[in-house]
Amino acid sequence: MRGRTNRGALLADRATFEEDALQFAPQLYTAAMRMTRNPSDAEDVVQETYLRAYRAYDTFTAGTNLKAWLYRILTNTYINRYRQAQRRPSEVELGELQDLYLYRRLGEGSGASVSAEDEVLELLVDTDIRTALEELPEHFRLPVLLADVEGFHYKEIAEIMDIPIGTVMSRLHRGRKALQQKLWKVAEERGMVDPNAGSR
Amino acid sequence: MSQGCGHAVDYLYQYIDDELTWSRRVRIRWHLQRCPACVGAYGFESRLKTVIQRCGCDEPPPELYDRLRTLIREEAARDNP
Repeated sequence: MRGRTNRGALLADRATFEEDALQFAPQLYTAAMRMTRNPSDAEDVVQETYLRAYRAYDTFTAGTNLKAWLYRILTNTYINRYRQAQRRPSEVELGELQDLYLYRRLGEGSGASVSAEDEVLELLVDTDIRTALEELPEHFRLPVLLADVEGFHYKEIAEIMDIPIGTVMSRLHRGRKALQQKLWKVAEERGMVDPNAGSR
Repeated sequence: MSQGCGHAVDYLYQYIDDELTWSRRVRIRWHLQRCPACVGAYGFESRLKTVIQRCGCDEPPPELYDRLRTLIREEAARDNP
C-alpha cells in the first residue's frame, strides 16, 4: 500500500519495484565489477542490493533519485560484505602527485608534437582503464567510479557514500591523479611514451 | 603561467564536472579564451574523462535479469502468502 512521508510526498510502491528498478541492473553490475573485481562477487552484490532495495522500497520517496538510492544500497552492501577483507587505504598510500599529472608527463615526453597526448589516449584500451581503476585504493576508487563512469554529481556521491562533499572532492581529485599515474605506467610499459623523457 | 592559470588548474575538475557556480564558471571561461596552455590541459582532461566513462561498461550475464526477477518475486510471495 502506498504511504506518505511526513512532508506529504508519496512513497514508492513495492508492486512497481521490478519495473522501476531493474532498468538500472546493467549499471549496478558494472559498478559492482569495479568494486569487487570479479563477476561472481559482482553478481552476489547486485542480487543482495536488489533484495535490500525491495525490502526498503516503501521507504523510498517516489519521484526522487532512484538510481542514486540504489547506488547507495549497492555501496553499503559492498562495504559491509568486504569490510573484513579490505585493507584500509591511507592517504599516504597515494603519495603527492602534481596536478595534471598525465598531461604534463605526456607533454614532457612528446617534444614538439602537439597531439601526442591525444594519441596516447587513443592507444589506451578498455582493459587498461579498467585495470588502472580497479587498482586504486577503495577510498579513491569509489568517487572516481561514481563521478567519471556513472556521471553522478558531487552532492549525490556524498549521499551515496555518506561522506561530506568536501571529502568527495578531495578524494576525487587525488584518485584521478593516482589513476593518471597508473595510466602513465601503462603507457610506459607498452612503449607508447619514452620513459626517459622529462622528469617528475 | 599567470595567476589565472593557477586558478584555472584549481577549478579544472569542478569545471569539467559542471559543479561550479555560474560566476566562477564565467571567470574560468574568460581565462580559457585567452590561454592556449590551459585550453590544452582542459581539453585533455575532459577527453580523458570521456575515455574512462566509455571503458566502464561490463555486459552483465544474460541470466542476471531472470535471477533478479525470481529473487524479487520470491520475496514478494513471502509478503503476500
